[in-house]
Amino acid sequence: MPRPSLRSRTLRRIKKRIPGGASVTHYLRRKPSPARCAVCGRPLHGVASERAAKMKKMAKSMKVPSRMFGGNLCPSCARERLKEMARKNV
Amino acid sequence: MIEVGRLCLKIAGRESGRYCVVVKKMDENFVMVTGPMELTSVKRRRCNIDHLEPVMETLNIKSDAPDSEILKAYQRANLITKLGLGPRKAKAAKVEKKPVEKKAEPRKEKPPEGKAEKREPKKKPESGKAVKRPAAKKAAKKPASKRAKK
Repeated sequence: MPRPSLRSRTLRRIKKRIPGGASVTHYLRRKPSPARCAVCGRPLHGVASERAAKMKKMAKSMKVPSRMFGGNLCPSCARERLKEMARKNV
Repeated sequence: MIEVGRLCLKIAGRESGRYCVVVKKMDENFVMVTGPMELTSVKRRRCNIDHLEPVMETLNIKSDAPDSEILKAYQRANLITKLGLGPRKAKAAKVEKKPVEKKAEPRKEKPPEGKAEKREPKKKPESGKAVKRPAAKKAAKKPASKRAKK
């Protein structure tokens, strides 16, 4: 039986086989939900969803696509927004 | 719509949201494009027509013109100010100058504050010592009293 604090499902469980051959459950914090497009709501590729401590260590280019609206809009929605900008500007 | 000299907005990829000029037609699907690099930071490269959104403005340039001629054409058409492109170096210089001035002023002000803060804590340890000394005396006295009881 695990510790009382580990009995809730707030922690995610991973089964690991340790070098001695026994299988053990490891308790880890859950990851935040994946980033979604602000317009259509579909999940974004190339956007890291990790705990804050891990996100701090990562480089910016690893967290977000280096496109305009990268990490905020999906590529197809960003393209439509840019088209609007082009038609309004000039 | 897309011909030599046409100003376009790049829609896809890392250069999306930046203006560029069509320099040359490669085939049905591809054109050669530049910013030029100094102005809009779009490299001279082949580009799919699907990744370009044409803008109403055009530049009067020959096909396969060098970047220097394209820059002149921009100036003739007064597009640099109209599109808010501007020379990036000048902008960067302004941004650099401002923080330097701000930093210089607080440095002059800060040292006296720091000194004032340093003076205050100096007094506190003195008071602390004053408190400690009697405590030490008491401690010294107590064992003496205990000894007396014994």
